[in-house]
Amino acid sequence: MHKVADIDVQHNITKANKKIADRITKKLNDSNIFGVDFVGAIGSGKTSLIEELIQRMDGNIGVIAGDVISKFDAGRFKKFNIPVVGLNTGKECHLDAHLVEHAIEDMPLDNIDYLLVENVGNLICPVDFDLGSHIRVVVISVSEGDDTVEKHPLIFQSADLVIINKVDIAGAVEADVGKMVNDVKVLNPDVEVIKTSLKKEIGLSNVINAIDRFKKRMDL
Amino acid sequence: MHELAMAESILNAVIEKSEENHANEVIEVIIEIGKMTMLNGEQIIFMLEVLSEDTMANGAKFIVEEIPIEVKCLGCGFDGKLGSDDLDPYTPLPKCPKCGNLKVNVKNGKDLIVKNIVIDKQSKL
Ligand SMILES: Nc1nc2c(ncn2[C@@H]2O[C@H](COP(=O)(O)OP(=O)(O)OP(=O)(O)O)[C@@H](O)[C@H]2O)c(=O)[nH]1
Ligand SMILES: [Mg+2]
Ligand SMILES: [Zn+2]
Repeated sequence: MHKVADIDVQHNITKANKKIADRITKKLNDSNIFGVDFVGAIGSGKTSLIEELIQRMDGNIGVIAGDVISKFDAGRFKKFNIPVVGLNTGKECHLDAHLVEHAIEDMPLDNIDYLLVENVGNLICPVDFDLGSHIRVVVISVSEGDDTVEKHPLIFQSADLVIINKVDIAGAVEADVGKMVNDVKVLNPDVEVIKTSLKKEIGLSNVINAIDRFKKRMDL
Repeated sequence: MHELAMAESILNAVIEKSEENHANEVIEVIIEIGKMTMLNGEQIIFMLEVLSEDTMANGAKFIVEEIPIEVKCLGCGFDGKLGSDDLDPYTPLPKCPKCGNLKVNVKNGKDLIVKNIVIDKQSKL
């Protein structure tokens, strides 16, 4: 006998990610780890920034590096002899909490104070995927054009800290950095915006101080 | 966007629920897509049709329903749905349709939901 059944499923895929993200946050809190998610445009300087932070910040750092082919960015972090887990994102355009939760299984949580997560270079797709980190840092650079912020408002609304990198070449690419800062402020009036040049070592201590202020506020 | 990854997640949820209910065939799937997700419903349906080929959902009818964006304005107190004209399709930045304020709570329209399935199941008799 065949029987047709109508089943109320109500499976919320968005909330399923959030549930895992909340689990990650709890795990980080339990281990006294401050989690920072770095998202941004392709080539804006996410890996370069994390490399600087590894060398300059107090405390032990672990890194999860999401990349199209993870050996590239993960390889750059490994030379610092810190715990690194690479995530091959392949055709995926963002990390999700499920991937990060698995990566955390390979992290020595007892030995790190900060978990830095580099997301795939993309200003659109990561918006909806909370990874359980305590703050989200959005890294863009002047070379994407000074209309980047206007074009991708949602990611800037979701940011806790915004970095505008490569200010050393702003003149060469005719980017109006002031406009970029203003555009962020319109979307997210309370967010701190820091201008950096990783090449010329400008603004780095501001970034480190900002991250540590957030960390203190969370009591971690 | 990430329609492919989302289609995979939808199909997994459908198959899981169908197996739980001892289905041998999935006849219909209703999916709700919040407008804030910027996911393209037609693309999702196409991908589901392709991905489901070797599963019990092969041949199922996939139906997408759109969930409108609902906001509560922190400025003027407006509480309600955004019309399709209130949103730029390329940068769907929700703002209050009444006073233009960007400080709004998005109450609805962010989710992707597998709402309902119709399955054919073999009864034990
Ligand atoms: N001129 C200049 N170049 C920079 C600066 N910061 C990074 N770069 C260069 O920009 C390029 C990309 O830097 P990455 O750190 O790999 O960027 P990313 O955001 O990690 O890139 P993906 O992970 O591929 O999205 C490299 O060639 C860096 O040397 C800067 O402040 N100024
Ligand atoms: Mg990188
Ligand atoms: Zn209003």
